[in-house]
Amino acid sequence: MPSVSILPGPRARRARLGRLAGRTVSLALTLLGLMALTFLMGRLLPADPVLAVTGFEVDRATYDRVFLELGLDRPVWQQFLAYVGGIFQGDLGRSTTTGQPVAVDLLRVFPATFELALTAALVGSLLGIPLGIVAAVNRDRMIDHIARIIGLAGYSIPIFWMGLMALLVFYAKLRWVGASGRVDVYYEGLVPSRTGLLLVDSAIAGDWAVFRSAFAHLILPASILGYYSTAYISRMARSFMLEQLGQEYIVAARAKGLPRHAVVWRHAFKNIRVQLLTVVALVFAGLLDGTVLVETVFGWPGVGQYLTRGLQYNDMNVVMGTVLVIGLLFLAMNTITDWLYRRLDPRTR
Amino acid sequence: MFRHIRNGIVGSTALALVSAAALAATPPDMLVIGTDVGAIPTLDPAALNARTVSELVSNLYDNLLKLDPDDLQSIQPMLALSWEVAPDSSSITLKLRDDATFASGNPVTAEDAAWTIQRVIKLGQVGATDLAQWGFTADNVEQLVRAEDERTLVIELPEQVSTDLVLYSLAGSSLGIIDRKAALEHETDGDLARDWLRANAAGSGPFTLVEWRPDDIVVTERREDYWGGTPAMRRVIMRHVPESGNLRLQLEAGDVDIGQYVGSGDLEALAGNEDMEIQHTPGFGFYYIALNQKDPDLSKPKVREAFQHVLDWEALSQSSMRFNGFPWQSIIPRGMAGAPEEFEEHFAYDPERARELLAEAGYPDGLKKKLYPAGDGHLLNAESLQATARLAGIELELIPGNHVPEFRARDFEVYTGNSGGRLPDPFATATHYAFNPDNSDEAQLSGYYMWRTAWDVPELTELTNESKRESDPEKRAQIFREMDEMYQQLDPSLIVFFQRVDPYVVRAEVEGYVGHPTWSTRWADVTKN
Repeated sequence: MPSVSILPGPRARRARLGRLAGRTVSLALTLLGLMALTFLMGRLLPADPVLAVTGFEVDRATYDRVFLELGLDRPVWQQFLAYVGGIFQGDLGRSTTTGQPVAVDLLRVFPATFELALTAALVGSLLGIPLGIVAAVNRDRMIDHIARIIGLAGYSIPIFWMGLMALLVFYAKLRWVGASGRVDVYYEGLVPSRTGLLLVDSAIAGDWAVFRSAFAHLILPASILGYYSTAYISRMARSFMLEQLGQEYIVAARAKGLPRHAVVWRHAFKNIRVQLLTVVALVFAGLLDGTVLVETVFGWPGVGQYLTRGLQYNDMNVVMGTVLVIGLLFLAMNTITDWLYRRLDPRTR
Repeated sequence: MFRHIRNGIVGSTALALVSAAALAATPPDMLVIGTDVGAIPTLDPAALNARTVSELVSNLYDNLLKLDPDDLQSIQPMLALSWEVAPDSSSITLKLRDDATFASGNPVTAEDAAWTIQRVIKLGQVGATDLAQWGFTADNVEQLVRAEDERTLVIELPEQVSTDLVLYSLAGSSLGIIDRKAALEHETDGDLARDWLRANAAGSGPFTLVEWRPDDIVVTERREDYWGGTPAMRRVIMRHVPESGNLRLQLEAGDVDIGQYVGSGDLEALAGNEDMEIQHTPGFGFYYIALNQKDPDLSKPKVREAFQHVLDWEALSQSSMRFNGFPWQSIIPRGMAGAPEEFEEHFAYDPERARELLAEAGYPDGLKKKLYPAGDGHLLNAESLQATARLAGIELELIPGNHVPEFRARDFEVYTGNSGGRLPDPFATATHYAFNPDNSDEAQLSGYYMWRTAWDVPELTELTNESKRESDPEKRAQIFREMDEMYQQLDPSLIVFFQRVDPYVVRAEVEGYVGHPTWSTRWADVTKN
């Protein structure tokens, strides 16, 4: 069916362009705000920016040279402009704890966290959404209570402890999974890094031994993070579904004699997809920066460990760079979710 | 939908089960070390002083000399076959072997050795600390350290110094000999290849660097053409395992051969395991409480004395310190010249006595101070100190985190940490605990702990200087005894409770891995049954 607009052609185009321009301006302003915030953070952190570059063992002459190189003698607004200029050239400074440019470090740690968070969000959604819906359909019955307990348990058990217990069972006793890192040491360096996502890279290379090893290392931390997210997703899914099940169109569908699963999945579920999308997107974005405990237990070389170490060692460039990139990812997630909203729900167009 | 979910779960489980086949104990020609490869800012020998990176660099580079881990005072040849000290001790001449090559294939020459030493001094980073103490500066080093020919290196000493100290420092990991030609090919803006050597290696050691990913892994591969013979291990891998419980499981499963930085609780559990050996490698450093003498309360001798009685070190020696140190209250490490024969107790845990001392110092109602631990590893000791100090009327507000920067900047009140040293001589610890040639803030002598606490005792500094100049072993021992005695009598700002021990967990099938007190453990002789 051809799309129908209530506005004539040129006016519709103009309106669309106007909306696009509005969104772009808002995005640019948010970006500027984000950069200002990270810049300010760098100035407020109790760390000497010169020592952050040189390390502690530095003589006076080197200190003064780096002070000038960093432009710290210039007015703050000029420093900010230089900082923004650097960002657009991909220069986020050098880390004092790894000795590498922060941009290079982030290109290494973000794919690891992305792979973990994506799998975790998938596990969380696959468990949480059906759990929430089943609970809503069986409101206040035994199955509802069980679903809530499962969800709550995931939320209440300390994730650090859960990680160690899971390692004890699935690694030490059953030997099903790997214990730390992204792949067994024997497979290190066998697959060229194209995307940074080891599962994808090993699949592209057709190296299935590496793929299996990468999967064995990923599945446990991802499942634990996913289980942790399940509580939130299932609670939200339950409440969205309950709201829909009370609507008149559901009563009508039931009166029409449709079977229960058709009422729930074909009608009610369709109407909560957009809300669920927001929830899952938020969970995913939260996982991108909030996985430090799981990363520590499983020696997962991701953003959480990188940022935490940066904070511990006053590594200012790491903190600023990572916060900026996480902020950008949130922005990207928001934009993508907005776009998906419009695709899934015509009312929001 | 349910069908899809069910299929997904079944598929994932099947995949996990299949992948189990990929997991097995480490191969016989591969050594896996579970450690912390997180905070390695550089692989440049001239800029390192931490344990993990020192061990790594000691296997990528060779030194002119080496120290036997079982007899540290015995200096052994490495790249230098022989050495000769001038009768007036003003210079040392070293003859280099002619069969050693760098990983690049270039031969190792005296030119490389001279350039390496000059470079360390010119860069002035942490690796230069030892050599700078012998009087070398960026201005004099090129003239004093030089290659006479391809095999002969001459080191003239700028001031009178015990030549043993100089020879010990040549065995430190900061003086791993660099391939000058290879490094200079990567020099930018006259940086002496500093930028390139951060993440690359140009040594003649038994292993070469394959890959290093911070917070993840270091992969090294043996050199088939190593002058000392091909190592038995084809690959040695340092795997980042920050969580001690996880490391213990991997050690038990045989996926990791060597465990470093294993927590006390896990060491306790592994101690009874027949498949493991726990090596207790003594280090040249101590666990201490530091009191900032810029603080008017803490600078009173009675207050300093009170702090000697507020830590229940006996209890700690059975718990958090059981594997990490042994009770020791002298600043001369056990077994070294001038050290007590056995543990001598100068102060006991006695909160009542501490309370009396505080009252005598004018604080009958106690004191309130902030307590800064060096890092997370010191949190247990800091918490214990906080609890027992309260019994003496001292309220310590614990500020968690890594507070080494505050310690270095004299911006702390009470601090707990530990030190390490790489020279097997009491002089090394004396420079930390009993040496402060200029107590002013402007001097910025943050390399010396005594300066960090702003404690100024010129007599101790002079004794340290004297020990550097003296070559006669008996006279040196006497100097250190005198120094230690004076230190105790003055109620020091750095209160030593334990001598450091570095525990290494080694699986039974591994042979030849010996934790080195100077952190230069070498892997070339490691074999596996």
